[in-house]
Amino acid sequence: MLIVNGSLVDPESLSVVRADVAVASGVIAAIGPRLDRSPAARLIDAEGLLVCPGLIDPHVHLREPGHERAETIASGAAAALAGGFTSVCCMPNTTPTLDSEAMVRYVGYRAAEAGAARVFAVGALTVGRRGEELADIALMARAGAVAFSDDGDCLAWPAQMLRALRAVRSTGRALMQHCQEPTLTRGAVMHAGEVAARLDLTGWPGLAEELIIERDIRLNRAVGCRYHAQHVSSAGSVELLRRARAESLPVSGEATPHHLLLTCDLVETSGYDARYKVNPPIRERADVDALLVGIADGSISVLATDHAPHTPETKQTTFDAAAFGMIGLETALGLYARALIEPGVIAWPRLIRMLTLEPARLCGLDRLGLGQLRVGGPADVTLIDPAAQWTIAETDLVGLSRNTPFLGWRCPARPVATIVRGELASQRPRS
Amino acid sequence: MPPTSLPTAGFDPVTPTPDPARLPTDAAGSTHLLQLGGLPPAAVRRLLERTRRVHTLMGETASLPLSGPAQAPAGLRGLLKGRVVANLFFEDSTRTRVSFSVAARGLGAKVIDLTSVGSSVSKGESVADTAANVAAMGADALVIRHRASGACHLVARTLAALRPGRHFPAGRRCAVINAGDGRHEHPTQGLLDTYTLAEAHGRLDGFDLSGLTVAIVGDVAASRVARSDIAAMTALGARVVCVGPPSLVPASLGALGCALSNDLDAVLPDADAVNVLRIQFERREPPAGATHTPGPAAVVSLGEYARLYALDADRLRTMKPGAIVMHPGPINRGVEITPEAADSPRSVVLRQVAHGVLVRMAVACECLGVSDF
Repeated sequence: MLIVNGSLVDPESLSVVRADVAVASGVIAAIGPRLDRSPAARLIDAEGLLVCPGLIDPHVHLREPGHERAETIASGAAAALAGGFTSVCCMPNTTPTLDSEAMVRYVGYRAAEAGAARVFAVGALTVGRRGEELADIALMARAGAVAFSDDGDCLAWPAQMLRALRAVRSTGRALMQHCQEPTLTRGAVMHAGEVAARLDLTGWPGLAEELIIERDIRLNRAVGCRYHAQHVSSAGSVELLRRARAESLPVSGEATPHHLLLTCDLVETSGYDARYKVNPPIRERADVDALLVGIADGSISVLATDHAPHTPETKQTTFDAAAFGMIGLETALGLYARALIEPGVIAWPRLIRMLTLEPARLCGLDRLGLGQLRVGGPADVTLIDPAAQWTIAETDLVGLSRNTPFLGWRCPARPVATIVRGELASQRPRS
Repeated sequence: MPPTSLPTAGFDPVTPTPDPARLPTDAAGSTHLLQLGGLPPAAVRRLLERTRRVHTLMGETASLPLSGPAQAPAGLRGLLKGRVVANLFFEDSTRTRVSFSVAARGLGAKVIDLTSVGSSVSKGESVADTAANVAAMGADALVIRHRASGACHLVARTLAALRPGRHFPAGRRCAVINAGDGRHEHPTQGLLDTYTLAEAHGRLDGFDLSGLTVAIVGDVAASRVARSDIAAMTALGARVVCVGPPSLVPASLGALGCALSNDLDAVLPDADAVNVLRIQFERREPPAGATHTPGPAAVVSLGEYARLYALDADRLRTMKPGAIVMHPGPINRGVEITPEAADSPRSVVLRQVAHGVLVRMAVACECLGVSDF
């Protein structure tokens, strides 16, 4: 396979150069201007397209085992490819929990059977994600877990958090924290503030996120574990990450499309539509602005989706009873372009870096050569049309669930082809 | 099987309608009363003016004989003949359910009463499904009370997404009337409180409440009545002060457009009306399974509350001449109000109840498109 005439984005140097990419036997065989076209089995014309390393999503929920009506490893991996993601890291809040060596291996088997995007397991920090006994962290790391998290719940108890940081530190992996102080957010379903007061919905204050990030940074000073704050939502959290990174602490944070594009007044104008219910909640304009500044100045270095599929009956119910979360894999790139590229927050090379190299380093996938395009490295490539105007429609959704408030949203860019392990896995006719 | 999609047809209860005196109407033409918050003053005034016309037609006593046919007097009789009003009460109620029934029957409507006990709700059916089923059987209006804030909005959105001709007879309309959703709103209570306030202070002409101060005392945070009162009364120009300890009157309530105070004795002498609320213990229970969540006692000390905030005979004496005492019920005598205060000449509690029927008649007519009076 030969990808010709494209603009090659290097997330390391942030350079964009016109170059061809030759792929053979699942690896990148050559990169260079005007590669010899005669032996190419298949020519892909990437004129006008960005040729990027395959996108990596460090935060998805694939619902298998336990809730296969909402998503399976196979359907989620297919949704990933449709959205330009060649690798995803699935969170452990399945039923049963991904909290053992056997469960981590199970994810690997199911992903291999699916043969779509690469799926890596994030192991639970504690048994059953209950925040009590530590799970078999070292054994899970050996079985292939790429990071550890009790996502869905915060590891709230400080003594146990300290033990978890030490245990994860010894594996060389990252600890991903779902930052939510539980006693401040009991029964909370939306951002605490004026809208919550008017709607009488229990408020989830940004303070509950900030307290955990601040505490964790402090606990981790003596440990030095790679620490990652998941789905950062509040302005105060961005400031905490900014200070930690200025001190060169091993700390990072991730953003999601919905926290950059949605604000909590939508809960009111939609008449309590639970598609806007997500954890942490969509907040205020000032929080969105702070997240954008944090992305521009590098305080937030990783972009994710927090793809959270749910069956219709668990979303189409009263706001307080509905499940948290929205899907994101199929729509994330277009929405990130709308949130970050269109208003000029960052340029394409930075966006690609935050969707490839940064999550690869966070999850240790750079050791497999993922997150960059290098001769001899794996041929995971995403081709992006940076000028494709499109509107998100239900037919664009590939996974099993439909819970997104973004149907009908206009996007200024989209992935047009996804290549994983050297195979063209997803392709869309160019407009 | 392809996955079912969520309805995309929205229903926006907040953005004003083209005619600011009208309630929001969905694409199918159904008119809903979901909340008073955000309604233009003209829409609140229109509902109260219709209530006043009902009041005039009903006569001064404003009550219907509950025995016999309980038909309203000429001018109102038979206005809802052939219409079906379904009361879907997923939460306990005495006053509100009886009041809606009396109002609808008085206008000649057929009333279906459904409570969670003895219906499919106890078999796990969702509020949206129950409501859609009753609507499909031909109800013209659904009067809904539910423990979840926004439950009536969900039903309105679900009905708007049903496909005419397939799920639902083409051209069929079904109004949704909120009879209390969680701690969010109780719009007909807000209207009847406002009507009672206006009557007591001679403001029935034009419902201009400017210059009046209303103190709402007690568990404002957990009160749907307070939210509806604040919306309606401030829309018409009254000043509303919510009074109680910080745990029951948190600063976030300032977003509702009212003043806040922790000092009842400072507020009472200026008040033209005081609306006393019950502490909603049943809404302050710790969630199931939560072992470390403190109960109601962590929110407020009852002994301290009674000393600082209960309306008693001594406090009653500090009030202005003509100032009234309201209570939406149920009353917990000896907790938020003493019997002396509840039964004093200032008390308009039973007047409120009588006005409730008038308001619900007016609201039913407005939502069902009856404009004959």
